[in-house]
Amino acid sequence: MELEWRQKTALGTIFIYVIGTTFLIYLVFQGHITIPVWIALFWIIALFTTVNAVSKSFTKDANEQFYYLRTIATPTEIILSKVMYNAVLITVLVLVIYAFLFLFFNERVENAGWFMCTIILGSIGFSNLFTLLSSITARTQNFVLLAILGFPIILPLLLLIVKMSELSNFAIQQKDIYMHLGAIALLDMITIILSVVLFPYIWKD
Amino acid sequence: MSMKNWWKYLCIVLLLYTVFMGFKGNVPKLDILEQSIRNLYFHVPMWFSMMAMMCTSMVFSILYLSISKIDYDIKANAFAKVGFVFGMLGILTGSVWARATWGAWWVFAEVKLNGAAAALLVYAAYFILRGSFDDEEKKARFAAVYSVFAFAMFMVLINVIPRISNSSLHPGNGGNPGFNSYDLDSSLRMVFYPAVIGWILLSVWIATLIIRIEKIFRKKHGLDLMERH
Repeated sequence: MELEWRQKTALGTIFIYVIGTTFLIYLVFQGHITIPVWIALFWIIALFTTVNAVSKSFTKDANEQFYYLRTIATPTEIILSKVMYNAVLITVLVLVIYAFLFLFFNERVENAGWFMCTIILGSIGFSNLFTLLSSITARTQNFVLLAILGFPIILPLLLLIVKMSELSNFAIQQKDIYMHLGAIALLDMITIILSVVLFPYIWKD
Repeated sequence: MSMKNWWKYLCIVLLLYTVFMGFKGNVPKLDILEQSIRNLYFHVPMWFSMMAMMCTSMVFSILYLSISKIDYDIKANAFAKVGFVFGMLGILTGSVWARATWGAWWVFAEVKLNGAAAALLVYAAYFILRGSFDDEEKKARFAAVYSVFAFAMFMVLINVIPRISNSSLHPGNGGNPGFNSYDLDSSLRMVFYPAVIGWILLSVWIATLIIRIEKIFRKKHGLDLMERH
């Protein structure tokens, strides 16, 4: 769905949010951190950015657009397009975070290739989870709900991603890398399948 | 005394047996664990019960999604509530045990502990989600969707992550010997299996009571139990 492209100001907001947060972290930590802290901060910023970016993906549809969308597309098409859009958006945002953290702290993980894989797979997972959850929370007036629902649910994925990031910095065994990447990919699969299966129940009204 | 309630009597008998054997029965003499091995009959069945409850709750959620009967939603909610309480009891009994054997109430290196805490947060969020809807039918539908999603992640959290991360202090994880190696003369097993069944029956019993209270409450306030569609 190209509907999201119309919301250019929303995109601008989220980019400024990312840059602002990263700069804030840089100043608070006074420019010196170790790699594990760098990884932890990186994914925490990524998580909060995701929540902010994705929380908007269904609230905009609350009124007329909602009915319009229902007439032209099936629920499966809608959830897949939203997930894809959000996955791309999150990947781009995470890369921006990466660039800025690298710029400010001048530190990065050793093996950038594996870290890129982690970023892409992680972003897809974030997108799968938070897109479905935001479709639930968009129907309530409770705006904190997305974070409350999302943070404990994202935990398995986040733990794997952080572990994988550390592995791409320093891995004793190559086997560990494949196992963790495989686990993240598997989680992505599970979450997307669940999203597609469950979304029609949210969408009908 | 109707025979319909045989499982309730079984539950009482099994739990009396568990408590009696738990405090008075013979246990193997073990290093470090010492007498704290008796907690096996209380701590571990809590998690079994919690998983049984969450699984039942998820099944009722799926049933609700396929057939929109508010009855299923009441059941899913009740089982999740009981599962949540048993999860808390599991953490409490586990914490006491950890203090006795590992030396601290809470051990960070223990993935299962952190996983359990996160699982409780997941279900706390479930109750908050239920509280955010006014419309009965919407509440039931969205809660059911979340519940199915949450259960899948809950399974990953407590089954997959501990195996991959390999840094658990629990028996049978991270190179630690499993409980079988402690159970030299099967005396633990003789109490452990009845204990698991007894605690699960107790949790089902509590859940049925909650369901009945909820139904009486609805009847009294004129809320129908009919299907909405």
